[in-house]
Amino acid sequence: MRILVAMSGGVDSSVVAGLLKSQGHEVIGVTMKLWEGPNGEMPETGCCTSADSEDARKVAAKLDIPYYVLDYTASFSENVIDNFVDMYAQGLTPNPCVECNRSVKFDHFIDQANKLNCEKVATGHYAKIVKNNNIYELHKADYLDKDQSYVLHMLDSQKLENIEFPLGTISKPEVRQIAASLGLKTAFKKDSQDICFVGKKDYRNFVSKRIDVSSKGLIVDKNENEMGTHGGIHAYTIGQRKGVPGGQGEAKYVTKIDVENNKIYIGSKDELTTKKFILDEVTFVNEVEYENLSIQTRYNSEDVPCSIEKIDESTYQIVLKTPTMGVAPGQFGVIYNDTKLVGGGRITSKVLEDVYE
Amino acid sequence: MNKSDYIYLDHAATTPMREVAFEAYKKTEMDAYANSSGGHALSRKAKNILEESRDYIASCFGAAPNEITFTSGGTEADNWIIKTPFIDKDTTAELTTTQIEHEAVLASAENVHSKGFNVNFVSCDDEGVTNIDEFKKSINSNTLIASVMYANNETGVVQPIEEMAKIVKNINPDTLFHSDVVQAVATKKLNFHNLGIESAAISGHKIGGPKGIGVMFLKTGYKIPSFLHGGKQELERRAGTVNVSGVAGLAAALKEQQNNLDKDIELIENEKAIFENNLKKNIELRVVGENVERLCHISNIQFKDINSETLMVALDLNGMGVSRGSACASGAQKPSHVLKAMKVDEQVINNHLRFSFGWNTQKNDGVKCAQIVEKTIKELS
Repeated sequence: MRILVAMSGGVDSSVVAGLLKSQGHEVIGVTMKLWEGPNGEMPETGCCTSADSEDARKVAAKLDIPYYVLDYTASFSENVIDNFVDMYAQGLTPNPCVECNRSVKFDHFIDQANKLNCEKVATGHYAKIVKNNNIYELHKADYLDKDQSYVLHMLDSQKLENIEFPLGTISKPEVRQIAASLGLKTAFKKDSQDICFVGKKDYRNFVSKRIDVSSKGLIVDKNENEMGTHGGIHAYTIGQRKGVPGGQGEAKYVTKIDVENNKIYIGSKDELTTKKFILDEVTFVNEVEYENLSIQTRYNSEDVPCSIEKIDESTYQIVLKTPTMGVAPGQFGVIYNDTKLVGGGRITSKVLEDVYE
Repeated sequence: MNKSDYIYLDHAATTPMREVAFEAYKKTEMDAYANSSGGHALSRKAKNILEESRDYIASCFGAAPNEITFTSGGTEADNWIIKTPFIDKDTTAELTTTQIEHEAVLASAENVHSKGFNVNFVSCDDEGVTNIDEFKKSINSNTLIASVMYANNETGVVQPIEEMAKIVKNINPDTLFHSDVVQAVATKKLNFHNLGIESAAISGHKIGGPKGIGVMFLKTGYKIPSFLHGGKQELERRAGTVNVSGVAGLAAALKEQQNNLDKDIELIENEKAIFENNLKKNIELRVVGENVERLCHISNIQFKDINSETLMVALDLNGMGVSRGSACASGAQKPSHVLKAMKVDEQVINNHLRFSFGWNTQKNDGVKCAQIVEKTIKELS
């Protein structure tokens, strides 16, 4: 079949293209240009650099497949970057990778694949699609260290039917081995961990260039005692310790961000724990489930056993079996039944009511 | 796919080399490879080929041989003419150009601007023709150079060059009137002096010549500083060992082109008309610059409701190579400054493709190409 493969220039997507080609599929490689400088140049750091697209091009040439760099900058800027900046301005902790998957990679990209008469799209994500009685399920990758199902939670059965994740059953060392055996130059390329449009730089500078964040405010403890001042709430996230005034030898963490009053609340580690919180924008891969559930509240965080209570179609309350630290509004809560991904949604700021009960 | 089955409709970007050009290039490289500035028999042979080629190339454009300097291409010629005259001027000197120039001119103009000089970027109308009144107003006693392309490389729309040349000379006889004719020479016979063009940039590979060779034409009487410094080649205007093989290839390509030009123009014009008319029968589209004079080989089409990036990929997968706009470093192609200058609506600026025919276009290509485009569009929806 004809498959459109998203190639970032990294080893994972290179191997995906190579594997699918060796299985006899008609593979078309695409690098999505997501982000650019003021003159249309690709970034020099982070991922999606021009060096990365050049790597992707070389891999495509080696595999003898058609390869294109396509312009997704408008969609990315509108759906991911604007959202990233807005969320920080609202005192929330954004997850741009989830936004990108939701509104760029598995939306616009699938549309384009359909137009090009591709039956499927494939990416180098570590996650597994399992077909069970004509229903498509999303599972954690066999190689749990690399599992990326968290950032794919918004995919439903219908979308999954059009997607291939060939790396779901392969370990990273095996991926590198395959790349080497195919003679791909990306075989030993370092993984990118940065936010692609921020790179190694501080995200705070990125945000402060785009919005007015100059307004100074107070840092207080849970009893409203003044502990210091801050230069703009965008520079703080829940659970952050850096730049937070300490107290009597005890480390302090950001526990709450009050946008309305431009205030940062700090407290001890204990005050960071949460037991209940509310998810909105909730979607399910298939049907909602209530038994044997656990939740991840950050990418690659531990699964915490939980139960869920429906508030309305897209809003659920999560009750954790054990209190957990650093549940940050803006991040996503992703619900699993063992390795099967049930669904997920955005953590709302209502979460922190618990902390101050 | 067999390479020979691939339909190449991107001649405005570059053309395949003519057999005669390749032969001339090869023969020079084999038999007259010496440095044309040397003092021995092989050098004389190279020098002779160089000067005979220069004579011939000059005659094709109604120019004198010493008005022709060989460069690495059109981009170098544009950079040279636009940037170097400002080097020793104070910032009262001005440059006038248009918003729809090729990047070689635009970026050179921006470079001049960055040095503190006033640069006027004259706008165009919605057909892509430069606004004459605005152009006229921009010329004054400080205008050092006025630069207007003969015809646009993305739309093929021909600019009122003769009229503009006269306007410039009437207002300021000292202003150098430059024209980037890189795209125009592919399918136009040009006499620089008759047109009032005082300097020009030409590129070899747009007419079936080799890549890496071009011409800077500069009217006798004008002098501009050197751009490349070193040896005393090309009457001390441009340093560097002369690319004699490239020059020989260019001359051979030009000779074949000039001998067939009338016939070729008629054929290309005809095939392009068939292509556009056939497409119009079943597809909603608008041809850019349809109501004004265009080069015969360029057809810039705005499709209704079809994203041209996807269409370009689909056409490539179906064996047809076309172009969308200017390519950036990554290879992604974006809507160009030309369409923006023409104030093409944001809703449809991503719906444009450029189809460009060339010297090896054959009879029936118009029908064949329209069929492929139509079939591809059907598959998209």
